[in-house]
Amino acid sequence: MHKPLYHYLYIKSPIAKIAIGILALVVTLAVLGGIIVTEVPRMEAQTANWNGRSIEKGAALFASNCAPCHGDHGQGTMNVAPALNSKYWFTHRLDDLGYTGSQKSYVLLTVAAGRPSKVNSQWAQRMATWSRNYGGPLRDDQIDALANYILNWQESAVEQTDEEDPWQPFDGVDTGWAGVRAAEAGITETVGISDTQTVSETAEPRAPEVLFVNMGCSGCHNLNEPQDENTPHLVGPNLGNLAEVAGTKVPGEDAETYVHTSIVAPNDFVNPGYLPNLMPQNFAEQMTPEEINALVTWLLDPNRPQ
Amino acid sequence: MAVQPETQNKGFFNTILDLADDTFTRITAGISAGEFRKMLRGEPPGRPNPRLRPHSDSFLLHIKPSYYHESVTRFTHTFRLGLLSTYLFILETITGAILMIWYAPTPERAYTDMIRLLSNVPLGQFMRDMHRLGAELMVAIVTAHMVRAYLTGSYKPPRQFTWFTGVILLVVTLFLSFSGYLLPWDQLALWAVTIGTSMAEAIPPKVVGDTVNLLARGAPDIGSSGLLRFYLLHVLFLPLILILFFFVHYYKVVLYGISLPAQEEEIGEDSAKKVPADRRVYFLPDVFLDETSFLLSVTAIMVVWVATYFQAPLESIANPQSTPLHTVAPWYFYWLQGLLKISDKFISGVLLPGVLLVLLMGIPYLDPNPSRRIKDRRVAIISGVMAGVVMIIWSYMGTPQYAVQGAPPIEVVQEIMPEEGAGLVREVGYKHLPNGDFLTVDTDTLVRYLGEEDAQKLLDSGVVPMDNIHDEDDPEFAEVMHEFAAGISEQQERDANFNNVYGILHVIQDQPHLKRLDWEINYLSGEGESDKFVRSFWLHEDALYWEQYARRDLSFISRLTEDGGVLGSMKNLLGLE
Ligand code: HEC
Ligand code: HEC
Ligand code: HEM
Repeated sequence: MHKPLYHYLYIKSPIAKIAIGILALVVTLAVLGGIIVTEVPRMEAQTANWNGRSIEKGAALFASNCAPCHGDHGQGTMNVAPALNSKYWFTHRLDDLGYTGSQKSYVLLTVAAGRPSKVNSQWAQRMATWSRNYGGPLRDDQIDALANYILNWQESAVEQTDEEDPWQPFDGVDTGWAGVRAAEAGITETVGISDTQTVSETAEPRAPEVLFVNMGCSGCHNLNEPQDENTPHLVGPNLGNLAEVAGTKVPGEDAETYVHTSIVAPNDFVNPGYLPNLMPQNFAEQMTPEEINALVTWLLDPNRPQ
Repeated sequence: MAVQPETQNKGFFNTILDLADDTFTRITAGISAGEFRKMLRGEPPGRPNPRLRPHSDSFLLHIKPSYYHESVTRFTHTFRLGLLSTYLFILETITGAILMIWYAPTPERAYTDMIRLLSNVPLGQFMRDMHRLGAELMVAIVTAHMVRAYLTGSYKPPRQFTWFTGVILLVVTLFLSFSGYLLPWDQLALWAVTIGTSMAEAIPPKVVGDTVNLLARGAPDIGSSGLLRFYLLHVLFLPLILILFFFVHYYKVVLYGISLPAQEEEIGEDSAKKVPADRRVYFLPDVFLDETSFLLSVTAIMVVWVATYFQAPLESIANPQSTPLHTVAPWYFYWLQGLLKISDKFISGVLLPGVLLVLLMGIPYLDPNPSRRIKDRRVAIISGVMAGVVMIIWSYMGTPQYAVQGAPPIEVVQEIMPEEGAGLVREVGYKHLPNGDFLTVDTDTLVRYLGEEDAQKLLDSGVVPMDNIHDEDDPEFAEVMHEFAAGISEQQERDANFNNVYGILHVIQDQPHLKRLDWEINYLSGEGESDKFVRSFWLHEDALYWEQYARRDLSFISRLTEDGGVLGSMKNLLGLE
């Protein structure tokens, strides 16, 4: 019979067949051996990989769910939500609370449950419950990703200098943090440093647009939208058309006086539909009179850049 | 001490030898050591052939024929594809059973179990990759086996029923693959299976479709019951059906013998079982060696493949609330996806596949041509080839390339940094993405688009124009920017509402080891209004992203030095220390 072109594929010799089999077996075992001896580093790389991917997921969730209150970089917003990237938060917060679990478990349970039952809080709003198990929007793996993301600030947070530390004091928690910071900075007398940030008399006055963010006004007030029935608002009224409405609220008070009073003594007139005590009562202590006046003028400026 | 008389007669040495030979013969189910040596030397068996013993003594071999016709043992007749299908099924069963140890079929656990398997189980990733590769190969090999049986005309009498059971095996293989697809519980899995099961919905009348869909998913949407059902299908029902039909199939193969090459017998005659004594090739040792060395070689290829170029994918956890931009079916269902793009669910998801299946099963009963010779089967061969070409065209239409296009800026970003999967940017990775803001156009183009003043303002803000991004600085990053620009110009040509486009990539250090990438795309609409699109992604330094069929990232091997070298890592693996 004639031999076809591919006749070399027909191996007849049993020894050749055995040799091929053994060669294949050796290759298999060698590669398998290589895989086995590198399993430990491979598993380490995979562990780091999935932690990294979880942090990426957490970052996206944080940007859309948490940043409005806790700030783009977790630096917190005065009066709205505490900083989560501060040195204090990573080094002393749990001690102050007497919480003995891990930082991660604290974040997990706080985020999952929220702070549903805080009465008379220093913060504008309660933090909502986030876990789906308790009626919130997020799944467990998402909360875990958020916790991984928040904990990933640790490395940079513990190296913060005093100027960088965005720590905001917690009311009603006896914290020795101010003293710790003073001691680290080499200051023996703790003059001028107390639990609430006091106004430094000598410092440059801060610009109104800076104050509006730093004091947390932006957490509760929308600057661009007008105040009317149909426009949704945050915790406090929208301030887009403040210049028009401010003079009409309290008979006999002009716009300037009204806005000034609204900042230093918010409860003097509480807008219908809002609860008293929501807006912090101590802005007079947190800003200098010049700063407050500048803020009032700025708020009432109809040409304020948006 | 009384020595048994028998031993006394034979002497001590011979008794041991006899005992050893006896043990050897028991293990080999009837081949004595002497006969084994003869086999190795290639000597012919004696008469009566002592090498037939194992076929009557051993269970596994009694299924196998004891000799074959010389013509069908040639590799190029069957390509051993049926054998390979069987082997892959066994391989899948073994690796699958091992994977089951670390897997719980609930939405809460399935995905995290996969992560744990990859990062915490020695050889876990290897087992998973082998199982996945085996599954995909099995689909390919079973199909190739069918094509071979078609081309050799082996479905013709008396093997019609062999073919029929074969089609059932093909369907079960496809379903096995498909049901396994859901189990990692990632986005890829959830959405492919959601689309797949939604086709069942289209079965008329509506009650039936809805019921089938409900039965498959366990609820209106795939959730915990759906996952459990797919799991049970995958590990229990489908394998049992496959085993049953395999035995029917193989029994028929042995009963009729493997068909001879068509030109070696008369038309209309079947002489496979009448093997002249001089054409017999005995299973032991020849066919046995052929098959073993073949399967060992395939195993070696698979292991090398998994070690270098194949990694089962794992995307984000399944999220029924968010449909990924371009959901893709596994490649062996591209043809179905392609069909779904050109017509509705009923026609392309139920009617056409149903008709195709019936046709496939009916081939032996429909083909009236008694000849198995290629030159007598013009119609059959041409229609077979045409069916293959049509399948390939449908498959091409099912690939993401032929995808339904979204809005241009979305497509630009999806191209280099897709929502799911790797993409160029993630492959290039964290360390090749310098912090800063980078433009896809050069200074001149920017001036042309924005005017002198605005362009200067943008450049003064520190944005780096394309003319300052050099290959020499970091070729990988330059490639990212070039691809970004290329994606933009491609979309710009395609869409009249996408003009004067310039993209800016902002790379921001968001946290230690974590960068945020803002893909900003500015463009003018057809009416000349300017618009802006921004999409943010984060990338962590340690994150590894991979493509299923791309080269494996083996950089982790460099960690070996930190782990105390091979020795330290082995100690660690074995839990010593
Ligand atoms: C409505 C604004 C708001 C949003 C949105 C918000 N938080 Fe909070 N968060 C707060 C407030 C207010 C507190 C402090 C509550 C308290 O101490 O009573 C807080 C406290 C926390 C704490 C505990 C801080 C500590 O030191 O005790 C964590 C952790 C936290 N939030 C994480 C998150 C995460 C993660 C998200 C996004 C899923 C988020 N928050 C969204 C307002 C918010
Ligand atoms: C914790 C949330 C919160 C913060 C922080 C906050 N406000 Fe308010 N603000 C409110 C609420 C609630 C009201 C409405 C109740 C009221 O009239 O007292 C209000 C009312 C006002 C009004 C009166 C608006 C009107 O139309 O009557 C002004 C002006 C105002 N706030 C300015 C500020 C400024 C400036 C800051 C920052 C220094 C600030 N607020 C911070 C919650 C807040
Ligand atoms: C899990 C899937 C399958 C397995 C394990 C399997 C197994 C086998 C085996 C071991 C043989 C012996 C000959 C050879 O190796 O080629 C065979 C023959 C055959 N198979 Fe399959 N098979 C499968 C699927 C199919 C399919 C999908 C078809 C066609 C639709 C098919 C049709 C046939 C036919 C017609 C023969 C006889 C070939 C001949 O006599 O020349 N089989 N099968």
